[in-house]
Amino acid sequence: MSADTVTRTIAAAPAAPRAARPRMRWGSETIAGAIIVGGLIAVALLAPVLAPASPTAGDIGRRLFDVGTNGNILGTDGQGRDILTRLIWGARPALIGGITPVLIAGVIGTALGMIAGLAPRIGRSAIMRTLDVLYAFPAILLAVAIGAALGPGVVNSIVSLAVVLIAPIARVAEAEVLRVRSADFIDVARASGASRALIAIRQVLPNIAPTLIVYGTSLIGLAIVYSAGLSFLGLGVTPPEPDWGQMLNDLRQFIYDRPLLSLVPAAAILLASIGFNLLGDGLKRRLEVRDGEALL
Amino acid sequence: MLVSTLKRLAQSVPIMIGVAIVVFVTMKLIPGDPVAALLGPNSTPASRHALTERLGLDQPLPVQFGSWAISALHGDLGTSISLQRAVGPLVVGAFLNTLILLVAALLIALVGGIVLGTLSALRPSSVLGRFVRGFTLFTISIPQYTVALLLLLFAVETGLLPTGGMVTTGQSGPGTVLVHLVLPAIAASITPMGGIARLFSTALSDVLHQDFITSYRARGLAGAAVLRHAVHGTIPALLNITGLQVSYLLGGTLFIEVIFAWPGLGQLVFQAVSSRDYPVVQAGVLLSALVLVLVNVVVDSVHAAIDPRVRA
Amino acid sequence: MTARLEVRDLNVSFRRGERVISAVRGVDLEAGAGRTLVLLGESGSGKSVTANAILRLYGRSARIDGSVRLDGEELLSLPEKRMRALRGRTVSMVPQDPSAALDPLRRVGDQIVEVLGLWGVARGNGAARRIAAGLLERVGIAEPERVLRSLPFELSGGMRQRIAIAIAVACEPRLLIADEPTTALDVTVQAKVLDLFAELQRANNMSMIVVTHDVGVARMIGHDIAVMYAGRIVESGPMEQVLSAPRHPYTAGLLEALPTPGIPRGELRAIPGRPPGPGEAIPDDACAFVTRCAFAVASCSAHRPRLEPVGAGQSAACDVIDAPIATAFSADTAVVA
Repeated sequence: MSADTVTRTIAAAPAAPRAARPRMRWGSETIAGAIIVGGLIAVALLAPVLAPASPTAGDIGRRLFDVGTNGNILGTDGQGRDILTRLIWGARPALIGGITPVLIAGVIGTALGMIAGLAPRIGRSAIMRTLDVLYAFPAILLAVAIGAALGPGVVNSIVSLAVVLIAPIARVAEAEVLRVRSADFIDVARASGASRALIAIRQVLPNIAPTLIVYGTSLIGLAIVYSAGLSFLGLGVTPPEPDWGQMLNDLRQFIYDRPLLSLVPAAAILLASIGFNLLGDGLKRRLEVRDGEALL
Repeated sequence: MLVSTLKRLAQSVPIMIGVAIVVFVTMKLIPGDPVAALLGPNSTPASRHALTERLGLDQPLPVQFGSWAISALHGDLGTSISLQRAVGPLVVGAFLNTLILLVAALLIALVGGIVLGTLSALRPSSVLGRFVRGFTLFTISIPQYTVALLLLLFAVETGLLPTGGMVTTGQSGPGTVLVHLVLPAIAASITPMGGIARLFSTALSDVLHQDFITSYRARGLAGAAVLRHAVHGTIPALLNITGLQVSYLLGGTLFIEVIFAWPGLGQLVFQAVSSRDYPVVQAGVLLSALVLVLVNVVVDSVHAAIDPRVRA
Repeated sequence: MTARLEVRDLNVSFRRGERVISAVRGVDLEAGAGRTLVLLGESGSGKSVTANAILRLYGRSARIDGSVRLDGEELLSLPEKRMRALRGRTVSMVPQDPSAALDPLRRVGDQIVEVLGLWGVARGNGAARRIAAGLLERVGIAEPERVLRSLPFELSGGMRQRIAIAIAVACEPRLLIADEPTTALDVTVQAKVLDLFAELQRANNMSMIVVTHDVGVARMIGHDIAVMYAGRIVESGPMEQVLSAPRHPYTAGLLEALPTPGIPRGELRAIPGRPPGPGEAIPDDACAFVTRCAFAVASCSAHRPRLEPVGAGQSAACDVIDAPIATAFSADTAVVA
């Protein structure tokens, strides 16, 4: 058999072997997390329909109404804008600001991790040590430094968060690749002459994917918090667009007279974070049982 | 042990250089021409050219980096644009205040985390165990600024504790600092406490299931003694996460300081970001990262001292 | 001779989430003073669980019913404090995995000294270390001082096993439970350790329970044998008698699988199938061995055979077999009446 035929045979063969999956019950954690996340996505998508008022136009005559006022159930802010409306509309930048950096960093980080994991010792050291430099920064400060340099704006905020997240994802990916690398089916594939790239994609990736997906899910919760944090500091979403972090900073100054107002966006951020963390935890539990069997 | 610590320090030098490079690169990322910004829109090309030469901005990048790094090592980190003061002493002074907050928060987080983690590990199915697990999920999900806001609210409503600053005007000394430290430290400690509790619970559980624990019991050791040995076995894992939490705290204290007006590095960086005072921002981030690298060296060294398997 | 250890109707079950797993069912055992009982079985048979249950090492995580009497004293109803006083001193255990028997983070010497102090064997560090060194020499460790200063991972598996044995016999217990005590050892050390056990038995009338899956070791070491399968005793009795004239198909199968001089290796017959794994549900109203048994008949799936005496101190739990089963092993040995 020529090397060509062998490679094509590998390519035609089914992807990495996985033991029969036992029927698993979805834990209550996963369901709760999924409901919250699903709800968030629904709110974000249906914002124009759900919101009772305009997110940017405010009535100065109705400014700083407290939570529970008739007509503005969650109160109004300093410019008279309805907080509930801004909260609903704020779900979009929250989700975008959370999911996009994780996706970008996920692709780049996984690629780097896989290259590092499958590379010879020297290459791996070089890549991981370079990533160690990024790891040396406290995450928020790195995001602030990059964000401050790039200036405010959603795109810049996404970029800085993505840069910050690449190193942790790459580390997890590399560790997973190393774990999978010594499995038998990899040796079989390599013995039959398949190219490294092919092995990587068809054999390694499906086996490291679950762990990375779980990790990524919990990172989304973190990214939402961080991106709200960046907006809080004035980087990220610019006014008058509604954003939970920015609302938090905005309402903070009224804490002596209207303390409850600032709790509203805080609660939203917290809920989003809990939702994604629950989902990630639940998936992890389901994954851990599978893990021992995946490499049988 | 001293030798291995020095070796680790030496190994961290390339990382510190890397850190400096990253900070330098972010400085260069700033859009716009700094010279034009400094001189204003009415500057002449001649004066711009002169300033460019004087600031060394016409040199190739590696050279610029070199001269910046060398001055930084001498303590010269530039001048604050908005405050017109030397950045170096400004940043270091603020950092010391952050250090106070950080140490306090870390201590609270460690004590709380270990207690909660132990409860969760020893009685996982009890009501207490489940409550602890729910609580820790809550604490790692809650953003630091939310906790800070809640505590600030508490201070405002009850008037029991001060609502900001490091000292009450007119007073000085550790007493007033401590009073002002309470709320910010608690706020900063909540999220790390959850993380430490979770990790400690898992680590303790793992250790308790290992065979040598059964052997201890088979020899007649009392429960308390066995637990003591088990906890000893969790210290390596605990050290690991301490390093992580310090990293988180160094960043997280930014929000706490802003909300509680604690005059630390975080607040300084925040104000610098608002006023586009880039030298201060970069210096602050640089200092934090370098400190973190050193902390990791210390943590790794202590880890090796305790766990002989790592040394091998 | 009254039995030193009497186990009657021992049941051990664990809770895994919502299921209850029965690991040991209705086990009756006896270990005479100065005699060694071998508990023989494949992994998953419940033999290690039985050993751990006698020492009550499971605490709250297992439910133990039945009776375990040591020199007439009922162990299962003792307050934990009193049980703890017995552990290590009166009833002691050599664990299965030598590398897990010692705390990986502490020096060997510190661990032994701690235990000597706890048992009141030695007062003061100096005296304790001398005694510890003596213990190590007894199990054939040359250079005991160096070993005392070492950390477990610096020592070989065999060395660690010997240390574990040294600790277990330090107080000259009345009952020693050894879980696969010779697996990690090479032949010469094995012989030395078995000699040590024999010497202790002679000197102190020590009883031993040896848990193993190795018939060869069982024969070398034991006076009596109890064969376990799926949590139950299927055959028991004096060693030579059971081995030369087995009355249960499982025992016979284990013997057939033994390498025996005269039988070419290729002709060894392993028992087809595999034993039930941990957590697998085993029906209570049928013989658990029925799926692997060459002698099974229809009634074996409908009724669980009880352990009944078949003569000369031997008992077997099989309704089909009523005479000794001939095996290649029994052909090789003289039948003991």
